[in-house]
Amino acid sequence: MLDDCQLKLPYRQGIQVYTDLNLLTQVLAWFEQFNHPPVPHSVWLECQLALAEAFTNAVRHAHAHKTPETPIDIEVAVDAQMIELKVWDYGPGFDLSQLSDEAIEPDYGEHGRGLKIMQRVADVFCYDQIDQRNCLQIVKYYAQT
Amino acid sequence: MQPNFEVIQPSGVLDLTQANQLRDQVNELVNAGATTILINLRDVTFMDSSGLAALVIALKTIRSAGGHLYVCSLNAQVKMLFELTNMTKIFEIFETQDELEQSLSTP
Repeated sequence: MLDDCQLKLPYRQGIQVYTDLNLLTQVLAWFEQFNHPPVPHSVWLECQLALAEAFTNAVRHAHAHKTPETPIDIEVAVDAQMIELKVWDYGPGFDLSQLSDEAIEPDYGEHGRGLKIMQRVADVFCYDQIDQRNCLQIVKYYAQT
Repeated sequence: MQPNFEVIQPSGVLDLTQANQLRDQVNELVNAGATTILINLRDVTFMDSSGLAALVIALKTIRSAGGHLYVCSLNAQVKMLFELTNMTKIFEIFETQDELEQSLSTP
């Protein structure tokens, strides 16, 4: 069965997309290729959500004042222990350290859960300026440490 | 007796691009006097935080009109999103539409 195909490690792929929320479907379809061992399905589901949040954040916030042609680069790498997501944008950057570590309170807020979701999913979560771009990096280990 | 509730059944990827449509559907039903609404998520393949926010807005709209909102048929991804964000404490969730019907028709 195709679903049981092991990824050949290390497995790395990248995709470049424009600044357009309608491309989320394309990003999700592209991410299907990582839904194979050794990535546990539960880890893949959480990373799929984190990737969607990273992409839509880049479109809505980082590139809020950029043209739709501004590229967003996505890279995903899988090895035997972990999966790593990188999302590159050309925005002004922001300070992640202001984000608290607390669990997400069940509230009636109408926005603002995206960053918290990424933080909850990630074992390593950072956002750094590298050359002219920002890199949002999420690392998730298969086994809980 | 057939339990009386309205059903909204979004499909595909429930994100910001679909959120407005959901909001319009909810407003339309509430304005028409609906007091019990089920959002059946059976055909939703993926939901992100913007889709979740649309559900929270729907919940507030219906409750402020004195009504009830239920959701049902969450797939594994949507269930994970609800659990990660603690939304299981806010929403009334049923496994299936049948289960809600039974629950509402039992006195």
